[in-house]
Amino acid sequence: MTVLVTEERVLTEPAFAPAARTVDATKIYGKDQTEVRALDGVTVEFARGAMTAIMGPSGSGKSTLLHCIAGLDTLTAGQAFIGDADLSTLGDNALTILRRDHVGFVFQAYNLVTTLTADENIRLPLLLAGKKGDTAWIAKVVDTLGIADRLQHHPSELSGGQQQRVAVARALASKPEIIFADEPTGNLDSRAGAEVLGFMRRAVDDMSQTIVMVTHDPVAASHADRIVFLADGKIVDEMYHPTAALVLERMKRFGD
Amino acid sequence: MLRTALKSLLAHRTRLFATALAVTLGVSFMAGTLVLTDTVSRTFNGLFDNVYSGTSAVVRAKAAFNGGANAGEQRGRVDASLVDALRGVNGVAEVEGTILGFARLVAKDGQAIGNPAAGAPTFGGNWTDSKRLNSFTLVAGRPPATADEMVIDKKSARDGHLVVGDTTTVLVQGPPQRMLITGIVRFGSSDSPGGASVALFTRSTAQTLVAEPGKYDSISLVAKAGVTQQQLVQNLRAALPARIEAVTGKQVTKEAQTQIGTMVGTFTTFMLVFAVVALLVGSFMIFNAFSITVAQRTRENGLLRALGATRRQVLSSVLLEALAVGLVSSLVGLALGVAVAAGLKWLLGAVGIDLPAGGIVFAARTVVIALVAGIGVTVVAAVSPARKASKVAPIAAMHGTVATGSGYGSKKRVLVGCAVLVCGVAALLFGLLGHLKSPVLIIGLGATVVFFAVAILGRTVSLPLSRILAAPLPRLRGAPGILARRNAMRNPKRTAATASALMICVGLVGSITIFASSARATINSVVDSSFTGDFIINSGAGLAGGVDPGLARRLNQLPQVASASGLRLGSAQVDGSVVQLGGVDPRLAFDIIDVKPLQGSRSDLGRDAIAVYSNVAADKHLKIGDRIPVVFKDTGPQSLRVALIYGSNQLAGNYFLGMSAYQANFTNQYDSYVFVKKAPGASAAAAVAAVKRVAVDYPGATVLDQTQFKTQTAQPINQLLGLVYALLALAVIIALLGIGNTLALSIFERTQELGLLRAVGMTRSQLRSTIRWESVIIALQGTVLGLLIGMFFGWTLVTALNRHATSVFSIPYTTLAVVVVLAAVAGVAAAILPARRAAKLNVLRAVVMA
Repeated sequence: MTVLVTEERVLTEPAFAPAARTVDATKIYGKDQTEVRALDGVTVEFARGAMTAIMGPSGSGKSTLLHCIAGLDTLTAGQAFIGDADLSTLGDNALTILRRDHVGFVFQAYNLVTTLTADENIRLPLLLAGKKGDTAWIAKVVDTLGIADRLQHHPSELSGGQQQRVAVARALASKPEIIFADEPTGNLDSRAGAEVLGFMRRAVDDMSQTIVMVTHDPVAASHADRIVFLADGKIVDEMYHPTAALVLERMKRFGD
Repeated sequence: MLRTALKSLLAHRTRLFATALAVTLGVSFMAGTLVLTDTVSRTFNGLFDNVYSGTSAVVRAKAAFNGGANAGEQRGRVDASLVDALRGVNGVAEVEGTILGFARLVAKDGQAIGNPAAGAPTFGGNWTDSKRLNSFTLVAGRPPATADEMVIDKKSARDGHLVVGDTTTVLVQGPPQRMLITGIVRFGSSDSPGGASVALFTRSTAQTLVAEPGKYDSISLVAKAGVTQQQLVQNLRAALPARIEAVTGKQVTKEAQTQIGTMVGTFTTFMLVFAVVALLVGSFMIFNAFSITVAQRTRENGLLRALGATRRQVLSSVLLEALAVGLVSSLVGLALGVAVAAGLKWLLGAVGIDLPAGGIVFAARTVVIALVAGIGVTVVAAVSPARKASKVAPIAAMHGTVATGSGYGSKKRVLVGCAVLVCGVAALLFGLLGHLKSPVLIIGLGATVVFFAVAILGRTVSLPLSRILAAPLPRLRGAPGILARRNAMRNPKRTAATASALMICVGLVGSITIFASSARATINSVVDSSFTGDFIINSGAGLAGGVDPGLARRLNQLPQVASASGLRLGSAQVDGSVVQLGGVDPRLAFDIIDVKPLQGSRSDLGRDAIAVYSNVAADKHLKIGDRIPVVFKDTGPQSLRVALIYGSNQLAGNYFLGMSAYQANFTNQYDSYVFVKKAPGASAAAAVAAVKRVAVDYPGATVLDQTQFKTQTAQPINQLLGLVYALLALAVIIALLGIGNTLALSIFERTQELGLLRAVGMTRSQLRSTIRWESVIIALQGTVLGLLIGMFFGWTLVTALNRHATSVFSIPYTTLAVVVVLAAVAGVAAAILPARRAAKLNVLRAVVMA
């Protein structure tokens, strides 16, 4: 264990195995002349109980990395693990069940099923599994996110911020191993965005959840414990205890 | 704009394929029907042209009355002596008397050939020596020369495995005869006249066996060279006695062709109904497909509008697209029509309707009707979606909001739907209950309007119906169940339109099934309540002929039989309307057939008497002793005295005669049925064995107990039901294609949502299950509405018939339950392809596509 996250919480104890990691992850699109290396031998670990942001310029491979660790896409070479599970060994069904039971998702848009109520959307992975889940936990999550009075509403009756909070609640509902968020505030105004990020932060701090988030917004990234910077499919840098100013500074250098 | 329309058409070709298929199937059915009936008409017309080509004139009795579309004009016979009288008329070259009556050949294996009760007729006639007047040509052997010789048609020879030199039985009036086959004939260019079986005897034998000694049915003449048909007829008229007429050969040809034309016309109408149903069902599918594609192209249309396209241009681009789809699919359908014609011919053959073969006739009319119907349906169905497309605001280019058809629909819509429904029901009832000459069109129109009304109301009905039908699903199927239910409720308009197609099919299937079931129940109740005997012998000859009355006489001599009574049936015109008039022996029949006599006496049913059903007597204010005018074809107008008024018309009909009156007015005596009551002491087994030992001498006649008689009587109903089911199957297939198409389009629309579901943990099989159950909900919705409409239609149909005969209304619950289960299974089947496609969806692409 070489990676230190926040000094206070995660030290070098081997008992704290990472929630997810990749080994030499490579993703190639196309063939021969048109070949594009979206990921070029990425080895990275995401520690439990922390929020990690993945940043990088457009085309750096940050979304591809997220999709491949989350089991939404497959690697061309190398390995991706969630807990102990080697994703490359799993078929579609096993991957789906892994996502359902151990992974939470927050997407930028189209996060909710329009025909289901907020409550049903939150419990969707549990419904799909045919499980009741931990009702006390879900109540706590709903309460924390401040959407208890919105549970019987349909997504079309909720504001953008409320919709994303429902999405966060869904991601938390089954107490997953890890939550992946893909530009979770990309479609929100800054106030609603800040609220959602605040909740995600509390999920990590108060509820011991693990979050990996892709973003291009330095302010959003500054909520993370650690930032991994990607460029041309490779990890080029990382940063602990980021601030928006430091991130902006670092991002500017990609423009050179 | 044309280019834009065509480009968009090509871009969406896969999505429009299923739509086009609906039009193609409907059009091919329509074209197939027209090709088939045109072919049949021309074959028959050619046949008659050929048959009467040598006939210059025909002399015959004037028509006594018209027996209706199928029976034609009914006329008596002419004296044989007239032939000699006409021979001397100026301009006559040849004269021959013609005889045509009931006769039925028996095959080598002892079974009677043909099925005169339900299929082509079986004839007997005389061999005509004149080459020019004889429509038959010998292909083997020689003409009959003695009283125990005959020639038969080639088809019967083939079917009955008979060859020249064989001796076989032929059923005629009087006891069955053994005859030597001396020759095989063909009729013009075909093996038999339109599938009928023919036996030809010498002149005097034919008179005795199938007609009347000293009489001919008609006399055919050939004019001398240079004498026109018209001149010949003029000359003949002067020589004719009263009530005899002369007509030209051309006239006779035309009459025969017209009669066949009427029959083919009825058949064409029957078949076209199914083609129209198929197109109607297809129109819902077209409407749906265009609605969905237009909704999906909201952004594109908004962009067109923003770039300066006028509303009219957007409207016409969609309509042009419909026009192109309609044109292409109609052309394909037209081409397929030829294959469909062959298929229909086979199908009809399978249910016992043999049509003569002939060169395919592809009339210009077929092309015009098929194209107009196909293109018309497509364009009309696309009008409403096109209008919607044209109403897209330019700003929609920015949001690309997809219009959803959620909610119950406006109050105005509900009102309009209800009004249309009332109109449809009114038209239906008027057609059924009003005293109309040709009610079929108005009934059909009423039924169509009812279907449309329910389709209009569908959106309002759909939401609660989906909710109720799918209520157990969430518990049964968990998340896929919840999602399937919500998806079916998401766009009630679309769900309703999709279900409507199936609704029409199930509505028709349901009403026909109920009608048939009621007819069967009626038969059962008639037999149960009116038949107090033990066995019934069915002659198997229908109304064309029957079994020798000698059978009943012989049965009455058996110790195991208490009494046997024949029922004779003949066509007559009673007080202006044509009826099948029964004749029974009043001394014997009333023990076996219970007609519930009310007034008068059965022993009074003499030579000049008639029995009348009490309701008819009440309607016409008839009492015992009153006179009714009756026209017989053999004896002309008569005046009969009411001798009996009875309370049950179920087996006897509205009128019947005593045997002496029947024998006085009908030349030919056949029993259509023989009713048998066993002797009190005899066991049923012994009685039936004894009866069968006698009946075996009369091939074609079958001995039936009550149950068998019910089954046999119901057989034509079952056969018709089978045919209707087979023909409706096409519409059902189109409706299922419609469900599949709508699902496929909906799935395309919900790509992102499906991706999300897959991302958060829905397995492929859960996804397939979701789509499958949505399909089942739609299918069940159509089925439930269809069954309700079907029950209503069935009820009105039975009620309408009830005015004439006491009929029973019976709902076949088991069959209808089977329909519901089949609909659910069909829903599953319709969802197979869309579900598979959805399951193969790339999760990532679906999620990322923002």
